[in-house]
Order: sequence, then C-alpha cells, then structure tokens
Amino acid sequence: MSAEENPAAEPAPVIDVQGDGRWMSQHNRFVQECKDAEPDVLFVGDSMVQLMQQYEVWRELFSPLHALNFGIGGDTTSNVLWRLQNGELENIRPRVVVLWVGTNNHEHTADQVAGGILAIAQLLLSRLPKSKLIVLGLLPRGEFPNPLREKNAAVNNLLRASLPQLGPVQFIDMGGSFVHSDGTISSRDMFDFLHLTASAYRTISTTLHELLLQLLEETPQERRASLV
Amino acid sequence: MSEDSNPAATPTPCQDIQGDGRWMSLHNRFVSDSKGKEPDVLFVGDSLVQLLHEFEVWRKLFSPLHALNFGVGGDATHHVLWRLVNGELDHISPKVVVLWVGTNNHGHTPEQICGGIMAIINVIHQKLPHAHTLVLGLLPRGKSPNPLRERNASVNALVQAEAASLSHVSFLDMDPGFIHSDGSISHQDMYDYLHLTPQAYQRVCQPLHECIKSLLDKHAP
Repeated sequence: MSAEENPAAEPAPVIDVQGDGRWMSQHNRFVQECKDAEPDVLFVGDSMVQLMQQYEVWRELFSPLHALNFGIGGDTTSNVLWRLQNGELENIRPRVVVLWVGTNNHEHTADQVAGGILAIAQLLLSRLPKSKLIVLGLLPRGEFPNPLREKNAAVNNLLRASLPQLGPVQFIDMGGSFVHSDGTISSRDMFDFLHLTASAYRTISTTLHELLLQLLEETPQERRASLV
Repeated sequence: MSEDSNPAATPTPCQDIQGDGRWMSLHNRFVSDSKGKEPDVLFVGDSLVQLLHEFEVWRKLFSPLHALNFGVGGDATHHVLWRLVNGELDHISPKVVVLWVGTNNHGHTPEQICGGIMAIINVIHQKLPHAHTLVLGLLPRGKSPNPLRERNASVNALVQAEAASLSHVSFLDMDPGFIHSDGSISHQDMYDYLHLTPQAYQRVCQPLHECIKSLLDKHAP
C-alpha cells in the first residue's frame, strides 16, 4: 500500500482546534531537545509512551539509559510521521528507537494502521542506518471484548509478519498479560481501560528494559563528528 | 441561565465513538464502587482528578481521608452532571465533595461553563444535603498565553462569586503560580501543558489536603 493510498502513512500535524497550541509546543520542545541531548535510546509514540515518563519506572529504568521521550497523547501514525520528518530526528543518533503508536488511528482500518507503522519504521531505519528498532504491539483496550481489541490484534498480526523483513527490527507484543480468562481488563492495569497504571508499566518495562540492555550492548555508539 | 439553553448544564452522557465503551465502563464501575464503600471524601471531575489517583500523592494524602476518585478523562461539565444524576451519588454520603471540571468545555462561554459547574453543585446539594462541596479553580493551560487561559480565569471569577453566597460551597484556587514571569508554563509542571506532573500535583495538593481536612473537622459532630 503506497503512501498515496494510505492516509495512515501520510504525515500530518495535529491542527490546534482547542486554542492553546499544545501539540506544536510539545513538538517544538522535542526539536529543541534534539539540539541539546545525545540520547542512546529514543521513545516515540502516543500517550502510552508519554505517560511512562511520569511514573517512577522511567527514572529507575530508562533515564539511566539516556533515553528521550517524544510521546504525545492522542497521536496517530500520521502525526508521529510528521514529527519525525520535521525535526525530531535532527542531530541525534540514538542506538535504539522504541516505537509505540497506532491505537489512536480511529479513522483507519487495521491494514492502514499497520501500513502507517511500517512507514514510520522505514523512515527510522533509513534516517538511522546504524540503529536498532523495537516496535511495541498495540495493547488490548476496553473493559470487555470489543471491536477495537480485534482491530489492534489484527494490526499486531500484520506487524509480526512484515516488520522483521525491514531490517534490525524487533516486534514485542505484551498485551497478553492484561486480558483475564473472562475476557475483562482490570482497572488495576488500565485505570481507564486504555492507559496503564504504574504497576502495569512496571510489568511491561521489565521485558523492555532487558531487551534494550541487550540491543545497546550489540549496537556500537556513534560519535558525533564534532567530538572526534 | 436555564438548563435548557445551556449545553454545559444539560446532563449528557459521552457517546462511544471509538467503539470500546470505556466511558460507560468507568461510570458503571463508579456506581458499583459507591454501593460497597463509605467514603468521607469524593473527588469528581475530569482527567486532572482521574490522573491524581495514579500517583503516590493520592496514597499519601487522600487515601487516609477515605477518599473515592470518580474522575474521567475528557469529561466536560455536562458529562459529570449526567454521571452524578445517574447513580454515582446514590449510595454514598461523603462529607466533602471535591469538584474539578470545566477545562474540557470547548466551545462554551465562561458563563455557560460556570452555569454547568453551578448545576453540578445543585445536584450534589440535592442528593447530599449534608455535604460540603469544594470547587477547585481551573488551571491555566498551554505553554504561552492563549484564549483558553483567559476563558479559565473568567470561569474561576464567575464561580468564585457565585460560591461566595452559598454556605455549603467553597472555592479553592489551585494555581500555586504555574505561570512564569515570561508568561510560560513549564513542562516540568505540566508535561503536555495541560496535565500535571507528579511534582506539580505535590505542590497543588498540599493546600488542597489542608482545606479538605479543615472542612472534615468542621463537619465532625
């Protein structure tokens, strides 16, 4: 599916309808951070990424890895694509990028969402040829079984099949641990049946952290030309 | 302003556009929570209330007060109104209700938003005649000065004026000075220039905690 046919793979900024320009403010801050920081790990995505930074687990497990967090709540694949093409990859050479986006693509089909995520993966691999990529699967959502769970699972299946072919990309699906045998998700894991609680972030972070350590060991650090 | 002409004061459930029924799941859980528990304090409102529950400050300051949290992200005044009219107050008798809502009322004027907040206060008073309602002021938002900051400040002025004449209502300004001298709000306080970081919650919750405690003390027989 080419970008022209897939709206989820079309870069698009968020239009400020509310009136306080918050999305652009956040994007501009990330662009500025690219000028000042030398991250080894870059997290990019939606609120699932953004909220992680507000919990203790970020300070404990990911700050020590020199990680930057470029998550924005509400973002779709189109929004993340736009941000990465418009400054959020300038001047940085993270050794690993963690990508988590797709659950907010409400206007798009599972095929389109997967296509959008693949487009972002391709962009990252071409802009950062020495880096490794971790793509996190979309988590189930809603208290009970519902169409969005099926859609997110379908996206994950498509990604599982097509991501490895792109290059050094790992796909991790951590959704299984959240759905109980009766099909319900607990508010102890997702306080609004979408966003993770501190304890749920801890659960997924252990796996993610171990994988990051492993990949960082395998991936040499690129020195900026100015430092040599 | 009558309820009929003010959309912010017309009880309206949130429509499930996304398809996973999360808003109704939350409402149903709050109704069933209210059947089993006996809170002394009830927090009700939008994501600024909801997110408070997820950080350490809730466990430290508000759990000891036997507080329940009925916050739902994205809620505007008419959503909170619907929830309170449809079961969330039916089985509990908190002494203090903390109300924090209004920043999501996009498209409404400050007068309409104030009308929505007053409608909620009235419903609380009808259902819980012995409870005291503590209305929290809307925080500024956005990195730089913008119309929503002005709107929120206007709402606060209107609500504070109305609350002054009601003995069962108090108004608390929740802004400890988030706006810097250059007019900016820091992402260290609001990570997306709307939602509070844990450290900002610590700052705003100290006075809130004191206020609630003193209201509880006054309420004690």
